[in-house]
Amino acid sequence: MIALTRYQVALLLRSHRWIPPAVLYVLGVIGLGDVRQPLGAGLAPALSWAALMLVPAVAWLTRSILTAEPAAARACVAAAGGAWQSQLAALIAAALVGLVFGLVGVVWEVINAGPVRAVGTNAIQAGQTVHTIGGGLLAGLICLLVASAIGALCNPPVVRRAGPGMLTTTAAVVLAVAWQESPANAALRTPVTGVRATPWPPGLPLVAAVALLAIGWTVSGFLAARRDG
Amino acid sequence: MRLDGVAKRYGIRLPWVVRDVSLEIRPGGLVRFEGRNGSGKSTLLRVIAGVSAPSRGMVTDRPVTGYVPERFPAALPFSARDYLGHIGRVHGMNPAELANRIEACLDRLGGWEFADVPLRTMSKGMCQKVAVAQALLPPSGLLVLDEAWTGLDVEARATLDRVIAERLADGGSVVFVDHDPARLDGMDAERWRIEEGRLKQVQPGGAAAAQPAAGDQADGAAVAAADGAAAKPAAGDAAAAGPADGAAGEPAAGKPAGGDAAAGDVADGVDPTGDEQAGNEAAGEAACTAGTGHEPGPADPDGTGAEPAAVLIEVAGYPAGAADPARLAGVRSASAASGRLEVRTEPAASDAVLRTLLGAGDSVHVLSVRPAPAEPGGDQ
Repeated sequence: MIALTRYQVALLLRSHRWIPPAVLYVLGVIGLGDVRQPLGAGLAPALSWAALMLVPAVAWLTRSILTAEPAAARACVAAAGGAWQSQLAALIAAALVGLVFGLVGVVWEVINAGPVRAVGTNAIQAGQTVHTIGGGLLAGLICLLVASAIGALCNPPVVRRAGPGMLTTTAAVVLAVAWQESPANAALRTPVTGVRATPWPPGLPLVAAVALLAIGWTVSGFLAARRDG
Repeated sequence: MRLDGVAKRYGIRLPWVVRDVSLEIRPGGLVRFEGRNGSGKSTLLRVIAGVSAPSRGMVTDRPVTGYVPERFPAALPFSARDYLGHIGRVHGMNPAELANRIEACLDRLGGWEFADVPLRTMSKGMCQKVAVAQALLPPSGLLVLDEAWTGLDVEARATLDRVIAERLADGGSVVFVDHDPARLDGMDAERWRIEEGRLKQVQPGGAAAAQPAAGDQADGAAVAAADGAAAKPAAGDAAAAGPADGAAGEPAAGKPAGGDAAAGDVADGVDPTGDEQAGNEAAGEAACTAGTGHEPGPADPDGTGAEPAAVLIEVAGYPAGAADPARLAGVRSASAASGRLEVRTEPAASDAVLRTLLGAGDSVHVLSVRPAPAEPGGDQ
């Protein structure tokens, strides 16, 4: 599994297919900074925004890796390492590269927004800052898992044609980000990140994201061995 | 490995591509599938290789598997060496062993000089060599070839034939499809025809293999013996003897190849006039099959060990207009019958003759190379 994942990561990086999603993420986090004004200023909204931008970026990364390999090359790897294992490795590879995106985004926002300060005195609140970063990382993780599940479910071998694949991916990303009941959206509404509260009990967005990921990866892996060729 | 009641379709509403396939592929077994275009040959091969899961039925006890597709696309962002490294690691090979095998396999297929060339820039034939090399990385197990010969040059096709003979002799199994009905004819394959999605046996395997000196058994043993001879450091000398192929021989030469104890004695017997290609190929083969520990068999066409009186080369598809094989240097006799050509040569000249025959055109296939008495009549 490690060798398969290493192969898929190398394929993703060396094919340069990671660059368009990376550009999207950078533009989203830095370039669209003004758009997030309604979220308010400060570290918590900044981290929420960075987490949110992971959803389109990681969904696109997942699509990139799932369409990177010619069918014959895929068959050779599948014969060597197993069909569903190599599909799973591709999904893991996209998630790992997405994780790097997310961590870079968190570092950027922390540097950019600075630590949490007390209202009035302007003193740095270290404990609150760590707590906020933790909340931001968790929100980012949830967004990453949801995006990976979307990428798996809306692209080959589940949705095989390019047009429907791209349209469903885009639609699912918009839904995940904007719909209040989506775990990715709910993750941004926790008390920690400070944005409006959500009806979800704490912890539930993570559970829901993991469940979604399990479904997405299982379906994708299952179909990879059955819908080949 | 076994296939029990295997059936495959690509969707619930789509028709069955293959149905009711029950088959046992034994160690040392060579299985050929035939059928019209679209009859399901490739699908069945993919199921056997584990690329594709059967819709019904079971595939059990599949050994380590190498799969060669018909067309290997150049659209991968790796060099040949990097790509083979990835595939080898997926097979769980350790790094040192893997590096040696990559060199050996590429070298043997005539692809060593483009090991570091990006796959993107390679021609179809070069890519196909990489595809064959990746399937040959595991030293044993199952080899699944879907028209793997397509696009390979003459030498590489002949090498692939020899590798198959070796693998079978080593207890590996080979399953293949090819558009050329004469492919691997001399190796006595078990033949199946796919008609309307169902398998029909055309010819059971092992008919000729029951006789110890005939068909693939003799081929395998002969090649294996040549490996043994070169598996010692003497491989270096053998490879260096060939100025033309010297460069290609170097990477494999002098490598720690796990030859058997008897190999040293046999290597001393290397015919000084024995030609360079034998040395080169044997060196590559030695690294490619290192550690298998062959005893040199009685069949030994390369002039090592107990030298046979003559070598009998059987080929199919030799063009009528090409050079008269009877006039080649070292040829004792040549006869053609029903599309096959039998050439009896001096042992020392056999490789040169073989190369000349293969060079006559793409239609030429080697059916067998085996030791034989000096005169016709006593070898069958």
